[in-house]
Amino acid sequence: MGIQEVLTEELICFDLKSNEKETAIRELADLMQKSKILEDEELYLEAVMKREAEFTTGIGYGVAIPHGKSNVVTKPSIAFGKSKSGISYDSMDGKPVHLIFLIAVPENSNNEHLKILSQLSRKLIHQDIRDSLMKAVTKDEIYEVLKGDE
Amino acid sequence: MKKIVAITSCSTGIAHTYMAAEALEVAAKEMGYEIKVETQGSIGAENILSAEEIQQADAVVIAASTSVNKDRFTGKKLVEVDVNEAIQNGKKLIEKSLTSPIYKSEGEEDDVNDVKTTSNKSGFQKVYSHLMTGVSYMIPFVVAGGLLIALAFAFGGINAEGEMASSLKKLGDLAMTLMWPALGGYVAFSIASRPGLVPGMVAGLLASQMNAGFLGALLGGFLAGYTINVLKKYIRLPQNFSGLLPVLILPLFSVLITGLIFIYVLGGPITALNDGLTNWLNGLTGINSVLLGLILGGMMAIDLAGPIGKAAYFFGVASLTNLSQGDVSNVMAAVMVSGMVPPLAMAFSSTIIGKNRYTREQREAGKSAWILGFSFISEGAIPFAVADPIRVLASVTVGASISGGLSMLFGSGIAVPHGGFFVFFIPGAVQNVLMYVLALAIGVIISGVLVTLWKKPIDKAKPQNAANAGEAA
Repeated sequence: MGIQEVLTEELICFDLKSNEKETAIRELADLMQKSKILEDEELYLEAVMKREAEFTTGIGYGVAIPHGKSNVVTKPSIAFGKSKSGISYDSMDGKPVHLIFLIAVPENSNNEHLKILSQLSRKLIHQDIRDSLMKAVTKDEIYEVLKGDE
Repeated sequence: MKKIVAITSCSTGIAHTYMAAEALEVAAKEMGYEIKVETQGSIGAENILSAEEIQQADAVVIAASTSVNKDRFTGKKLVEVDVNEAIQNGKKLIEKSLTSPIYKSEGEEDDVNDVKTTSNKSGFQKVYSHLMTGVSYMIPFVVAGGLLIALAFAFGGINAEGEMASSLKKLGDLAMTLMWPALGGYVAFSIASRPGLVPGMVAGLLASQMNAGFLGALLGGFLAGYTINVLKKYIRLPQNFSGLLPVLILPLFSVLITGLIFIYVLGGPITALNDGLTNWLNGLTGINSVLLGLILGGMMAIDLAGPIGKAAYFFGVASLTNLSQGDVSNVMAAVMVSGMVPPLAMAFSSTIIGKNRYTREQREAGKSAWILGFSFISEGAIPFAVADPIRVLASVTVGASISGGLSMLFGSGIAVPHGGFFVFFIPGAVQNVLMYVLALAIGVIISGVLVTLWKKPIDKAKPQNAANAGEAA
């Protein structure tokens, strides 16, 4: 099982329209909705924003990983969006966000999926990975960058 | 090479936990340090730190937005921050951990919190809770010791003759001897946590050797506990030596200070007081001892093992601890028999003579009250007292008081501070056991009948109210 399992091609967006945090997250959630990952988009977004209210998921370096755990999520998934112009996200370092990974996790998910998410999270810490993601223009390139260690 | 161990954890346990772990690993690598990070995420704990790894580590980093159990890291330099801090500033955090203060054990930290959280408790409540802790740790020693000695006499006569009897006697004596360190030690433990144990136990044993008895061990425990608190407050060691505080400085100075104060200042007066109390109790005869029994008996019932009852109980235990070996305490006997009356009386009333005066739930509670009563657990009457405090408490207090007085009158005595009906069967544990049972039965019957007459049969149209109470009175 690899990253494609949770980050399907339909869930990748190379050019987010929005420049605002909440609407950008919604754009990605719409992709999930279309792929039938969410039973109720609003409820899911509520969970995400609630998490966001605790503390921003804009971890700096132009990366944000908003995430929500909810029973309206049918399978663990990631939607990935890029923004050239940057999204104002009240990140920890105050800089705009260019890479957003929206994570959706059901209340009860198996560890295989969670492992993939944790590996992805680990990768985002590395400068070279972030740079490669910024440069990537095709879905295959994205997969290449994010593919698991296995 | 410096070794670091870390734990990361975040509220959802999906992303930040792992990012922080990775960030710390990257940072440590760049700094040339060795690191192992345990992630506590929604997958569960992974990459779990072994005791050995923790032992070898130079410092501990905890980056978590959830609460992480830090018990494992006692004695280690430890820094604790929010999980985001690790993602942002991994290197700084690792630097910081190496110069962080040493994490103290849970108990000691609790203590620091104690000062804050218990400050809204009144001084009396605090003292009372320390006292309760000490006594509750002491009682099992007295039970074991008292029963073993009683058995030794049952097997071997008053001089515990014969091999088996003398062995039992020896065991009992040992257990009895340990009750003093247990009392002093755990009073001090309650006040000052782990460091209190050493001076407290020493003070307890000292009290026993100076014949300062129950009071001496108790005060010794308090002295020891507060001595530790004062020492901890005023002794400041340079960082590198702070490890010496719990293993060398505190034990040495607390025992020294507590012990010397006890020997030269407190011991004498307490011993005199203790002797006085013992003589007074032993000298109590006839009407005076019956009066004491009545009073203690009433106290045992009036608040059902609340502070008044506990005070009477401590008095009983204290009288027990001042006995010469093989002797029995009349006071303790009166206290125990009285404490058994309330639940038994309510059981008697609610399951036998006055069923129609109780709800179904109360009759059920009555069945367990039998057991609780025979076990000397006065709290068994509480369900009844809550529902109808005046009638119940007044009735059981009368009966308990009478039982206490009768027990004194009959000269019943007991060697142990607890056990209820079950110690009646142990040979030698209860002196004058038949009369003792009689004293119990009379109290139970009086209280049971009283409360049954006083309570009205349950009548839905006419709830029990103050008017009823007045009419019955």
